[in-house]
Amino acid sequence: MAEFDEISRKITLKLVYYGPAQSGKTTNLMRLHDLLATDLKGEIMTLETQNDRTLFFDLLPLGFRTPSGWLVKLKLFTVPGQVAHDATRKAVLSRADGVVFVADSQRAQSVNNAEAFQNLEENVQRVGLDFSTLPLVVQFNKRDLPAAQILSEDEIRQRWAQAPWPLVFSSALIGEGVRETLVRLLEQVYPALDRVGALQDTHGVDRQAFVAAVTGA
Amino acid sequence: MESEAIEPRAFDREYDLAELLGGAPLGRLAPIFSALLGEYRLVSAGGQRLLGRAEPFAEPRRAAVRHDLEPLGFLESEQADEARLAAAAEMVGLLLHLSARYHMAAELHIETVREDYAALQRKHAALQESEARYKALSEKLEERVKEQVGTIEAAQRQLYQAEKLASIGQLAAGVAHEINNPIGFIRSNLSTARQYLSKLEPLAVPVKAGDMARCRAVWEQGDLDFALEDFASLLRESLDGADRVTRIVADLKGFSNVDKAEEEVVDLNDNIRFAANVVAGQIKGKAELVLELGALPRILCLPGHLNQVLLNLLINAAQAIQDKGRITMQSEAAGGEIRIRVSDTGCGIPAGNLERIFEPFFTTREVGSGTGLGLTVSRDIVQAHGGRIEVESEEGTGTTFTVILPVD
Repeated sequence: MAEFDEISRKITLKLVYYGPAQSGKTTNLMRLHDLLATDLKGEIMTLETQNDRTLFFDLLPLGFRTPSGWLVKLKLFTVPGQVAHDATRKAVLSRADGVVFVADSQRAQSVNNAEAFQNLEENVQRVGLDFSTLPLVVQFNKRDLPAAQILSEDEIRQRWAQAPWPLVFSSALIGEGVRETLVRLLEQVYPALDRVGALQDTHGVDRQAFVAAVTGA
Repeated sequence: MESEAIEPRAFDREYDLAELLGGAPLGRLAPIFSALLGEYRLVSAGGQRLLGRAEPFAEPRRAAVRHDLEPLGFLESEQADEARLAAAAEMVGLLLHLSARYHMAAELHIETVREDYAALQRKHAALQESEARYKALSEKLEERVKEQVGTIEAAQRQLYQAEKLASIGQLAAGVAHEINNPIGFIRSNLSTARQYLSKLEPLAVPVKAGDMARCRAVWEQGDLDFALEDFASLLRESLDGADRVTRIVADLKGFSNVDKAEEEVVDLNDNIRFAANVVAGQIKGKAELVLELGALPRILCLPGHLNQVLLNLLINAAQAIQDKGRITMQSEAAGGEIRIRVSDTGCGIPAGNLERIFEPFFTTREVGSGTGLGLTVSRDIVQAHGGRIEVESEEGTGTTFTVILPVD
């Protein structure tokens, strides 16, 4: 959960990119680093990888100063997607303020998507978060692949019709939908943040301003 | 969890300058800063001095030492120029970045190891629990099996007892018949003898008076020539009858030790003759009983038990014969085995039943007329002697049971 540090006047948020192996979580972060014009933008910290596959996590720090002079710091993490790294995935997911589920649009990956989503639901509960209130965006990535290879948007919308979470179609590789995904997540994260930290009243940041500040729009 | 050696801290927490430089050899950093900056101070964002001059500078130049997004501390110097100071701060930032990577990876690792360990312990506990459950279950099962075995054994003992009683009952019926017959004619002979005695009585007076004519008259009147002759034969017959009863009673003693599980060395032909004697009365007029006995070596066995087997087979044979027939008992010794064959010319056993006749409770007779255990018990007894029973049968022609016993 978001940390409010009165002494160093800092709010720290944690957002986690979750999903099956090789669905494009790290690519999302890399594109965000390129695309966003946030006031404060750190370097991507990539921990160990093996054949381009994340073993620990990637971290992209973003931040801005509120009119009240506080620093709002967002830490964007990716989890390792491979099934074997569940303990790491769980540790990274701990204390998350919001989650982007990066699904792989390829037809062949439907089962992996389902399993990873179920794993997310289980781990959310294990780390003591409430899945019904946790801000979540479902991103279907790799829309740039040939149509025959991927599920159509209609199919996906139909399958997820009953789900309450925003659905975003993206191609992280070419940077499409990546920013929108983050925006949709930030919109959901803001109310809880405002409730706990009186972001609007005390710090002069409303929802729009919050989203704009993080994305640098 | 108790006694946790490493208290894990969130790997993704905000690190401060002291923490990030904690792992670096500050002693080696100090001369580097001195060489680059001359007199300097490295202070945290909160104003705490970490390296360099103890007293604050009056009017220092400052360069922020950044990590992630914010300054974690400052490098201060009065001598060094801006560019040098900025470059040095940048270098410290680089150190912090590397240190942060190390800290995060290490602490995440600890967190996952701990989590894996906890998961293993949970699994272990669950396994132990299920192991205990299975153990308890298996113990219970063992108990139940023992109980069941006990019940079955008790029931079996009862049934075998019942079968024994049934065969003793059959034996008793045979014996009663056998004894009844001689007793019958002994009694009739004795009553005739009493009549003869009453005919002799009138002789007493004339014999004492010496009246020979009167004696002669009484003698002829009573036909005492015949009476005297017949009296002798009556007594002879009666003695024979009494001997027969004595023999039967002696044979009966042989059977009375059914329960006496004492081994004896016997000639099995004696047992065959005994069984034949017992059954003879029951089958008189119905079947002819033929004994064809070869010389047998004496063997150590439970004679009472084998008598039961032979009697069983004989009674079965007798029951298989409807009108008239023949029962043959043969014995021979060959190839280290004794073979006792009981053949009848009775109704035979249908092929479909042949496999089942040794099964407990299999019977073709009416309910109540047999326990269905006769052949089962017979087979068990023969097997206990290390032998076996073979059967050949043809419907309408007859059946042959062969008891094969080893000669030890």
